[in-house]
Amino acid sequence: MSMEDYDHLFKIVLIGNAGVGKTCLVRRFTQGLFPPGQGATIGVDFMIKTVEINGEKVKLQIWDTAGQERFRSITQSYYRSANALILTYDITCEDSFRCLPEWLREIEQYANSKVVTVLVGNKIDLTEKREVLRERAEEFAEAQSMLYLETSAKESDNVEKLFLDLACKLIREAKQNSLVNSVSSPMPGEGKTISYLNCCS
Amino acid sequence: MTGVCGCCGALRPRYKRLVDNIFPEDPEDGLVKANMEKLTFYALSAPEKLDRIGAYLSERLSRDVARHRYGYVCIAMEALDQLLMACHCQSINLFVESFLKMVRKLLEADKPDLQILGTNSFVKFANIEEDTPSYHRSYDFFVSRFSEMCHSSYEDPDVRTKIRMAGIKGLQGVVRKTVNDELQANIWDPQHMDKIVPSLLFNLQQGEGTESRSPSPLQASEKEKESPAELTERCFRELLGRAAYGNIKNAVNPVLMHLDNHSLWEGKSFAVRCFKIIMYSIQSQHSHLVIQQLLGHLDANSKNSATVRAGIVEVLLEAAAIASSGSVGPTVLEVFNTLLRQLRLSVDYELTGSYDSCGNLGSKVIKEHEERQLQEAVIKTIGSFANTLPTYQRSEVMLFIMGKIPVPGMHPALASAKSGFDCSRMIQVMLLKSLLQVATGFQTTNMLTALPSSFLDPLLSLTLMEDAEIRLLVLEILVSLIDRHDNQPKFSSISIISDISVLKLKVDKCSRQDNLFMKKHAQQLYRHIYLACKEENSARPHFETLYTLLALISMELANEEVVVDLIRLALAMQDLALSNEEMLPVYNRCAVHALSAAYLNLICQLTTVPSFCQHVHEVIETRQKEVPFMLPEGVFTESPSIPKSLDKLEGHLLFLQSKITEVLGGSGYNTDRLATPYIPQFTDEDRLSKRKSIGETISLQVEVESRNSPEKEERTPAEEITFETLKNAIVDSIGMEEQERERRRQVVEKFQKAPFEEIAAHCGARASSLQSKLNQIFEITIRPPPSPSGTITAGYGQMQSRSVPVYEMKFPTCACTRAGGGGERDGTRWPSPAPQPLRSAGGRAGETAPPLPPPPPPRAPSDEAELTLSLHPHCDKPSGSPSDPARHPKVTRTRH
Repeated sequence: MSMEDYDHLFKIVLIGNAGVGKTCLVRRFTQGLFPPGQGATIGVDFMIKTVEINGEKVKLQIWDTAGQERFRSITQSYYRSANALILTYDITCEDSFRCLPEWLREIEQYANSKVVTVLVGNKIDLTEKREVLRERAEEFAEAQSMLYLETSAKESDNVEKLFLDLACKLIREAKQNSLVNSVSSPMPGEGKTISYLNCCS
Repeated sequence: MTGVCGCCGALRPRYKRLVDNIFPEDPEDGLVKANMEKLTFYALSAPEKLDRIGAYLSERLSRDVARHRYGYVCIAMEALDQLLMACHCQSINLFVESFLKMVRKLLEADKPDLQILGTNSFVKFANIEEDTPSYHRSYDFFVSRFSEMCHSSYEDPDVRTKIRMAGIKGLQGVVRKTVNDELQANIWDPQHMDKIVPSLLFNLQQGEGTESRSPSPLQASEKEKESPAELTERCFRELLGRAAYGNIKNAVNPVLMHLDNHSLWEGKSFAVRCFKIIMYSIQSQHSHLVIQQLLGHLDANSKNSATVRAGIVEVLLEAAAIASSGSVGPTVLEVFNTLLRQLRLSVDYELTGSYDSCGNLGSKVIKEHEERQLQEAVIKTIGSFANTLPTYQRSEVMLFIMGKIPVPGMHPALASAKSGFDCSRMIQVMLLKSLLQVATGFQTTNMLTALPSSFLDPLLSLTLMEDAEIRLLVLEILVSLIDRHDNQPKFSSISIISDISVLKLKVDKCSRQDNLFMKKHAQQLYRHIYLACKEENSARPHFETLYTLLALISMELANEEVVVDLIRLALAMQDLALSNEEMLPVYNRCAVHALSAAYLNLICQLTTVPSFCQHVHEVIETRQKEVPFMLPEGVFTESPSIPKSLDKLEGHLLFLQSKITEVLGGSGYNTDRLATPYIPQFTDEDRLSKRKSIGETISLQVEVESRNSPEKEERTPAEEITFETLKNAIVDSIGMEEQERERRRQVVEKFQKAPFEEIAAHCGARASSLQSKLNQIFEITIRPPPSPSGTITAGYGQMQSRSVPVYEMKFPTCACTRAGGGGERDGTRWPSPAPQPLRSAGGRAGETAPPLPPPPPPRAPSDEAELTLSLHPHCDKPSGSPSDPARHPKVTRTRH
């Protein structure tokens, strides 16, 4: 019996303007519910979810940050150790899309250089209020070499896919990483495959 | 699996059996105490098995968490805690890995109870002091998670508070665990501090809001329960207390960031509270680092709104007060430099109305009153810092501030525009206020070294400003510098005190250094006191401060000689008010009379010569009856009843020099000296000063028009040196002078006879050069000559159109500060300067002279050229000074 109940551990941090639905995405994914009157996140929120991908148990540590400016300094300190960032905007809010370059600068400044970034346009259930066209966002994501996905936390569209795809990509990268330097231990803060202490029983 | 365990239990290793046995059938029963003891005993006797025990317990716990069997989770945790407590430090290491994994597991759970349970265990663990370092432990997750818990937004407020408190305790634990172990993750790294500090501050700040409404009688019973804010504060203090020199920065930076992000500077109180905690908690030898960071932050916020800057300054003020000695650290002047720079910036912002010097980015509106508040705060902070300094550093700082004061004439660029004038004036006022703050409470045993000429000279030169506010500030600075026994409050208001013993004055014997100081600077002081009396715009506070100054000089620095001089000075002031050559308003004359009376009343009692006292007393009594407006009680009231004019004053209303000389001579005072009326003297400093003393131009102007009038010499027989001799001393060729006169005559003739058009054309062609000549002349022209006719000055007056800053007239630019001493504008018996110093002054000037036409060859240096220039304003030589031509107010006055 393994000492650990997972094969991979990844830290995922959600960032983006206030009110774009970061917390709802996380809640939908981890708890399967959509909290209607979700208040603004204070500082950081933490959730954990273990998923199985191709027979491997992957533990996702999800740090959901506050979008509000005043918490910026503490949220920034969480980017640093993240394996993946989910940069979220609201497709019904042009402003949240326009702020993306600013967020990218923050990522560049604070996050690990090998971080995987996914651009997520949330709230696709509100099609009639859409302000940011899909093509535009895709173009932007491509230019910044990010993955792009549109989701709806409310309708649970693509939420599962978002996290699972991300987990797959992270596993691939982790494996590649361990292939490249199989001997050396994983970088601190990188997703490390914890499989030591199998000695018991 | 449990089933399997049941049937092959006997085959299982002993430690597993022991562990299994501590769990009861029903989790409600709690830990099986007896079996737990067995397990503990086993663990202690076979510490090498500890790691396996730990691993197995942790495995069970993970399983129980996954199956939501929380009862067993609690039991497993309790067992772990007990084992941890029971084990010896050395063996803990084997066990910690699995222990931490269990805590992590609990913290990952979304049940608040489990999170709190995990935290509690972690805290227990943190309190164990390990003596073996561990290399591979990582607390990243714990810091992140505890910080997150500090921000918990759980719906139920009670649970939320519990989670947050658990978070704080957890952070405290991490800090305790790691702070002393250099091999472990450095908790002081920004990546940790940026999480820990804001989380703590967030809770501290939350406490502020609730504290106000919480103390209801119902909650009083729960007083023993600590609030999150209190806990946070304790934790924060502990953290800071452990910070070493190199870590302060990382700990304080997030505080600054947090206050920035949550815009908490403006409210001030929270920022002040934070920094009070910081200052009280850190090791005192590091406090200057905090101050430095605050100063750096202030600089970084230079372009931020005034309220933010004021908030930072306020915090600095409080922090400096707490840090007391050593708060400034090794870079004293850097601290003051930063503060003064901020002061200067604020003045600039206020005047330009924009944060951008170019003025095109005026998006933020500058609120003047906010800038004013900021300036006040900065000045107060300067004072607060200065209070922490030893005397010698204080005088250094005073010298430094003095050096920053834009001395008129030294910064011609500043004076070029009206706003430039306003700006330099405001900066002068601000810096003098700062200086006053530093000077307040300044007590030195050695005035001579504490107040070198390089400080006193510029300071005193500012007393000659026409600006009443600046003059008053300088007087106040002098008062606080001279006062060393806190006598100042006793003289703060001017009055006739019939018996000075009620004041309980503290007097020390005048030391040798004091005597030396007075020997060196007394004349200067007297002169400035005297001149200050002559200023038209002096008001009640000025006279009061002058009185205080005089009184303090007599208290602090008086030897016999000084007393004599002071009496002479008082009498000279009386003469000044009497003769009214200055055309002073009646109020001022009465005030000067009152000042002189009040001071003589004081000094006569200090000398304790009965007959002197009697004379003074008599005069004062007569005045009380006949002319109460000549006494301080009459003049310095809300609505003084001042007569329209102040003519015929009977002898018995005045203090008589002859009488005083007589009575003091009887007591062994130097009557010869006393009999000589006081004449403001020029000291070396005056002659050599780069700034020009007032008298200098007079010598030039005398030449212009009253050279032939002998009254001047007659009136002051002591002055044998006429202008002729004076000029001859410099200009050794009469011929040149004659030539000049001839040229001048021609020009005057031309202007008198030529048709207007021609003159206009002529002038137009040379407008610029004329303009610049005029500038030079009016820079030199400090005051008009004492001529009764005033023709020449009137002529100059007509040519001027725009105004020049007052100080420029009084302190012309260095370009024209040569020509040594000279008479005073009013010609009141100023001794003419000796030719010799004049020469030396001229030589000096030659070195610093701005581009001027080369002087006629073998002649004395550039004074000469200047003389020529001033006499021929229309000649088209290039000019050095760019400043505006001006109308001198005094000129107009004499014309009337």
